[in-house]
Amino acid sequence: MTVRHAAGPATASGGRVVGLPLRNLDVLPEGTVERIHAATLRVLERTGVEVRSEAVVRRLVAAGARTDEHARRVTFPPALVEEALSRAPRTIRLAGRDPACDLVLDGSTGYLAVDGNAAEILDLETGERRPSTKADLAEITRVADALPEIGFCWQPVAARDQPLPVQPLHELHAQFTNTTKHVQLTTAALPQQARGAVEIATIVAGGETELRARPVLSSFQTSLSPLTYDGPPLEAAAIYAEAGVPAGFVAMPISCATAPATRAAALVQSNAEILAGIVALELLVPGAPTFYGACGTVMDLRTGAAACGGPEDLLFQMAGAQLARRYGLPSSIGTFATGSKAPDWQAGVENGLSAIASWLGGADMLCGAGLLYGARVYSIVELLLDAEVFSLVRSMTEGVPDTDEDLAVEVIAEVGPGGHYLAQPHTLRHMREQWRPRFFGREAWEDWEAAGRPEPPDRARERAREILAEHRPEPLPPGVEDAILQVIARYTEGAA
Amino acid sequence: MDEKLEALREALYALDGQTATAISTELIEAGVEPQRVLQEGLAEAMLEIGRRWNAGEVFLPEVVAAAEIFKQCQAIVEPALLASGGQTLGHRVVMATVKGDLHDLGKNMVGAMMKTAGFEVHDLGKDVPADRIVEAVRELEPTIVGLSALLTTTVPEQRGVIQALEEAGLRRAVKVMVGGAPVTEDWAKQIGADGYAPNAPEAVRVALELAGSERPTG
Ligand code: B12
Repeated sequence: MTVRHAAGPATASGGRVVGLPLRNLDVLPEGTVERIHAATLRVLERTGVEVRSEAVVRRLVAAGARTDEHARRVTFPPALVEEALSRAPRTIRLAGRDPACDLVLDGSTGYLAVDGNAAEILDLETGERRPSTKADLAEITRVADALPEIGFCWQPVAARDQPLPVQPLHELHAQFTNTTKHVQLTTAALPQQARGAVEIATIVAGGETELRARPVLSSFQTSLSPLTYDGPPLEAAAIYAEAGVPAGFVAMPISCATAPATRAAALVQSNAEILAGIVALELLVPGAPTFYGACGTVMDLRTGAAACGGPEDLLFQMAGAQLARRYGLPSSIGTFATGSKAPDWQAGVENGLSAIASWLGGADMLCGAGLLYGARVYSIVELLLDAEVFSLVRSMTEGVPDTDEDLAVEVIAEVGPGGHYLAQPHTLRHMREQWRPRFFGREAWEDWEAAGRPEPPDRARERAREILAEHRPEPLPPGVEDAILQVIARYTEGAA
Repeated sequence: MDEKLEALREALYALDGQTATAISTELIEAGVEPQRVLQEGLAEAMLEIGRRWNAGEVFLPEVVAAAEIFKQCQAIVEPALLASGGQTLGHRVVMATVKGDLHDLGKNMVGAMMKTAGFEVHDLGKDVPADRIVEAVRELEPTIVGLSALLTTTVPEQRGVIQALEEAGLRRAVKVMVGGAPVTEDWAKQIGADGYAPNAPEAVRVALELAGSERPTG
């Protein structure tokens, strides 16, 4: 852990995006991982997954999977699982419209995403909760574009004011026009929507070959816990993969409700679901770029709500990243997903610990910046606070460099007992390596009172207003936006 | 007799489905009034479990497990009940997660809690098209139909169901309750629903209110 401040691979993109040098710490002993793996293979072979599309089932069976007489339950022999997994590339590239924002997921660096598809947003000005719109999505994306801590964007909120069948295409329009960073589409789960999304991504990338080489778009589909896949999302995944757009699979099991109560069994089921998706994809599109997504939580026993924060979540994050490593796949981990309803103590604790857990665990993709209330409400204020947490953890990753200059025995001798280091050249040389908060309060009590006792969220709100007033993302090249709008118009007509 | 009913209730508290169904069968075969088995045995026990839940003594999985045992016992009692011309439970509720939506945890919990308040709950499942809901309303004549939707993309379907009920001439025959994470009081008003609740206990409260303003079916 000796990465020098503001240098090294993590900021190779000229400061537009900073990543987290990963620790890849194994939270599960090797024996546990292997027991989970063996149990997963048994589940995939014996219970399998329900696939709600006869056509997809038939294609999977033709490729070596097994099925029952009703052609709904698909089971996978262990050898087939291992073989299919070996087809997936370990390293994938999430390209930005601006090549300086390209992210290479090779296990060395983790990147933070805004995410969530939240249905509501905390209005920046009124503080009230209201349904989200395409304009909100555009604003959040613009803020994300300005924040170096944000590596890529999935849809933080849903463009609820747009017609349903083409909502995902409007979401792409809002995002590609507001960021040059990579976009991950999570809302296009129907084949037709995937086709539209690929068309738009092809336009943005500048052609089919260009898209394949530098995919400016990635996607994922979710399993329906327990152990079910809808047909259309699998077909959509294949459409993405055929175009070279990474197509991941994410499981979001809730222990005691959609997953078993014990931690081990929840991991087994989640692992089985994710692997089933990836194996299915690799059978349909061999060599498809994909990733392993784990967002497990537990049900609150009293209210029945998804907890989205707590010790189980932290363990699931680390274990998810470790399992992905076991299979040689990039991981996408639900990191920031506090259950809290406001950017408050609970949000700070849950997300602070989550950031540490995902970093130590080795998550290639850390998701969730800005989400509140278990991924149901979005807050730009929370986004800025989460970015601050990320930057704090990133500073820890720089570790303790130990060159002679760092050990500074000479300087210590010069100042000697009783002196001070304030004006030392050594201090002036190195002080900027210290992490400086934007939103934590370190002012004197009197100054704090005079300023009206601002809390970190108040400072973050101020900063959000500044960014929104000032930051103008690099526009799309001439003609590209028109071409995107034409695609949307065509798909809107087709759907009508 | 009273001890047997007590034992039936105890079996529900203990979440012992085998004993509960065995006692239910025994009671019916012994010729005990099915109405009593249903009211004093099963429904009474669910009400108590609801009280315990409110007091924080039991957890949701226990409520849901009890509701499932209740359903098994109900299936044993109901044929005898209908044969004897007796009345079923109190108000009838039809629950469904709307078309296109596969989230059913919330709906199941609302259904389970409704049972703890004495409602007779018919669960149509998830991803249920409007015409099946209309069909169920026609056949079962419930007091309330509860519609769950968890996705912004499926919430509009709640309006679709209300329209379908209107077209079928059934809208005035039933109270419509809506819920699910993205659903709000405003939305409920906007689509002309009769009730909304943000969680299961509140759903029970609203349902009791709505049922109070209606003729009982039971
Ligand atoms: C579990 C879950 C799933 C499970 C569902 C399993 C199941 N059997 O139900 C699975 C994995 C299948 C799933 C799939 C998907 N999900 Co999902 N899921 C969730 C999650 C994490 C929890 C939902 C839940 O069960 N909560 C617990 C229950 C108890 O709460 P509840 O449902 O709100 O119910 C309470 C109240 O709402 C109310 N209530 C509910 N129904 C009713 C009805 C009436 C009449 C009344 C009065 C009250 C009432 O009472 C209940 C009890 O208190 C939420 C996020 C979250 N934190 O809520 C996302 C979430 C709902 N899912 C989401 C999405 C997007 C999806 C997918 C499209 C996948 C994706 N791309 O992420 C698919 C869609 C599948 C489909 N076609 O339906 C989004 C929706 C976003 C949006 N903009 O609409 C959410 C918010 C997560 C997110 N931010 O991405 N999901």
